[in-house]
Amino acid sequence: MDVPQAGPALGDLEAPEGPHHSALGAPGRWLWREATSLLAYGRRRPRFLVGLFITILSAVLAVIGPLVVPYPPTTATVDVLRPPSLTHLMGTDPTGMDIFSRVLAAVQIDLSVAVSGTFLSFVAGVVLGAAAGYWSGTGGVPLVLSEGLLRIMDMIQSFPVFIFALALVSLSGPSAQNVVLAIAFVNLPIFLRLTRAAVLATREQLYIEAARGVGLADRRILLRHIIPNSIEPALVNASVTVGGAILLTSGLSFIGAGIRPPTPEWGSIIATGSQYMITGQWWIGVFPGLALSLSVFGFALVGDGLREYLDPTKRHAFAVRATRDQQARMTKEPRGVVPM
Amino acid sequence: MRTHNPLLFVAKRLALLIPQLIGISVVTFLFLHLLPGNPAYLIAGNLATPDEVRAIEHHLGLDKPLFVQYIIYVGNVLHGDLGQSWLSGNAVLTDLLQRVPATIELVSIALIVIAVVGVLLGVMIAVNPRGLVARAVFGYGLLAGALPDFWIGLILIFILYYKLRLFPPPLGQLDLGVTAPRTITGMYLIDSLLTANWRAFGSSLRHLILPEMTLIFVYMGLVVRMAASSMQSALHADYIRTARASGLRPWRVTWQALRNALPPVLTVLGISYAYLLGGAVLVETIFAWGGIGQYAVQAVTNSDYLAIEGFVLTAAVFTMLVYLLVDIGHFFLDPRVHV
Repeated sequence: MDVPQAGPALGDLEAPEGPHHSALGAPGRWLWREATSLLAYGRRRPRFLVGLFITILSAVLAVIGPLVVPYPPTTATVDVLRPPSLTHLMGTDPTGMDIFSRVLAAVQIDLSVAVSGTFLSFVAGVVLGAAAGYWSGTGGVPLVLSEGLLRIMDMIQSFPVFIFALALVSLSGPSAQNVVLAIAFVNLPIFLRLTRAAVLATREQLYIEAARGVGLADRRILLRHIIPNSIEPALVNASVTVGGAILLTSGLSFIGAGIRPPTPEWGSIIATGSQYMITGQWWIGVFPGLALSLSVFGFALVGDGLREYLDPTKRHAFAVRATRDQQARMTKEPRGVVPM
Repeated sequence: MRTHNPLLFVAKRLALLIPQLIGISVVTFLFLHLLPGNPAYLIAGNLATPDEVRAIEHHLGLDKPLFVQYIIYVGNVLHGDLGQSWLSGNAVLTDLLQRVPATIELVSIALIVIAVVGVLLGVMIAVNPRGLVARAVFGYGLLAGALPDFWIGLILIFILYYKLRLFPPPLGQLDLGVTAPRTITGMYLIDSLLTANWRAFGSSLRHLILPEMTLIFVYMGLVVRMAASSMQSALHADYIRTARASGLRPWRVTWQALRNALPPVLTVLGISYAYLLGGAVLVETIFAWGGIGQYAVQAVTNSDYLAIEGFVLTAAVFTMLVYLLVDIGHFFLDPRVHV
C-alpha cells in the first residue's frame, strides 16, 4: 500500500478500489495520490514540468491578467507606434495602445474561448461516443443512430479543419460565442471516436456484465461504470486540443472572422501588426505571436506528457504509480464493481 | 472474390464519390441556412434593390420547403452556377476558376518538398534514432506544432525581406512590371517555363520562396513523424532481418523497408495536402497571393456569402479528390489491398 493516509477501515472486506470509484468516496486522497505520482513522473521528464508551469501560468494570467496590466488595454492614446522601451515594454500600436497590456489581457479571451470550446467538445464527444460505443453492434434503432452519427463525423472530418471553422464562423457571424461553437464542432469527431473506441473495449469487461446482471439500467451503467473507465483517451486529447483551439481562434481572428478589435486577442493584434512588418515596426506582431506560441507549446507538452504517463506500454519505464494500481490496470481487473 | 484488379478497384472507388458528393452538398447547403435572418438580404448586400433581393429569393427557392430548396441548390451547382459575388460582380465560379491555379501551385510545391524532405528525414531518424538529425527534428516538431503559420510568415517577411532584402516584398506572385506569362495552366511558374519566359520565371520563383518556406515549416512535422515511426517498425520486421542475414547491402535493405513503410506516409501526405489548403488561406493573405485562399478571406471580411460558400465547396471537392488519389496510391503501393 503506497498511500500512507489510507485508513484501516478500507481493509480487506471491501472490493479493491479503482481510482475512479475511490474518487467518488475520497476525492482528496485520490487527487493527492494522482498528483504525487504525476510529479514523480515530471521529475523524470522535465519537459512535462515546463509544460505544466506554462499552462498554470497561463491559467493564472487568464484570471488576473486584466487586473495587472500597466495600461488600459483598449484605450487609444497619442503615443502611437512607439518601439519597446521601459515605459512600454512591448511598444505601442498605431492607435497608441500598449502592446504589453494587450498581450497580457488577451490571455483571458484566448484561453476562455479555447477552453470552453474544448470543454463543450469533450462533453459532447464523450457522451455521444460512449452511447455510440455501447450500442454499436446491438441492432435496431440504437445501431442505426450510432452508425449514422459516425457517418456524420466522417463528413465533418472530410473538410480541412480551418476551412470548416472559417465557414461556420463567417456564415453565422464573427463573435467569441461562434468561435467557441466552431471549436467544439470541428473537434467533436476526435473526442467521439476516442471515447467510442475505449468504450468498445470497456463494455466487454466482466464488471460491466456483472452490473448488467444485477439489473442496473443502461443509463446508470453508462454514467457510473462505462464512462469513468473509458474517459482517459479523451482527457489526454483535451490538453492537445486546447492548444489547437488557441491556434484556431487566433487564426480566425487574424483574418477578421473571429474576435474583433479592439478586444485584445493575440491573432487580431498580430493582424494589426502584419501591415507594419514591411515598414519595420516589428513589435506589434512579434510579441503576441510569442505569447501565443508559448501557451500552445505549454499545452502540447502537457498533453504529450499525459499521454506517455497514462500509456500502459510505456508506464513500465516510469514505475512511479502505485504497484497495485498498475497491476489492476494491466490485468484489466474489474475496477468498476461497486458493492451493491 | 478478392482480386488485385486495378480497373475494378478504381471503378469501385469512383463509385464511392457519389455518396461523398451528396454528403458534401448537404453540408454546404446547410451552411447557407446558418445565416441569421433572411439570407437573400445578406447575400444581396447593402446596396441591393428589392428586385434584386426577390431575384435571389427566387434563385435560392427560399419560399419553398427545405428539401425542394436542396434540390434547387444541387441543380444550380451541377450547372456550374454558384451564384454571384456581390463584391466582384462576377459569377463565383468564374472568380474561383481564375484563382485556383495560383493556390494549387502554392500548396502543391509545398507538398512535393514536404514529401521528399520529410521522407528523407524520417528515414534518417529511423536508421539512427539517437543521432543528431533525430534530436534536431524532435525539437523542430515540438516547435512547429506551436507556431502559427501566419505568424511565421510575418517573421520571415520581417527578417528576409525587410532586414536582409533577400526576397521581394510580399505583394503577389510577380514583381511589378513583370507581365504574367501566357496562360496555359494558370500557374505562373509552369507557364513561364513552358513559354521560355525567363524573366517571369525568375520573378515567380523568387516570390514563391517565402510563402513556401512558411507552409513547409509548419506542415512538415506530421509527415516526418509518420515517416520515422513507419520506417522504424518496417526496419524491425522479420523480412528485414532475413534480408540483412542474407547479406544484402545496407542501402538495399533500407530501400526494401522504405517501400513497405510508404503506405501510412501516403495517408499523412493526403491529410497534409488538405491542411495545406487551409494554411493557404492565411499564408495567401499575408503574401497577397491572389489565390482562392485570399479570395475567401476577402469574402469573409465583406460578408460575400455566396463566395464563401463557393470556396468551401471547392475545398471539400479538392479534399475528396486528394483522398481518392491516396486510396488509389495505396492500391498500387500495397499489393495486399484488394477490391
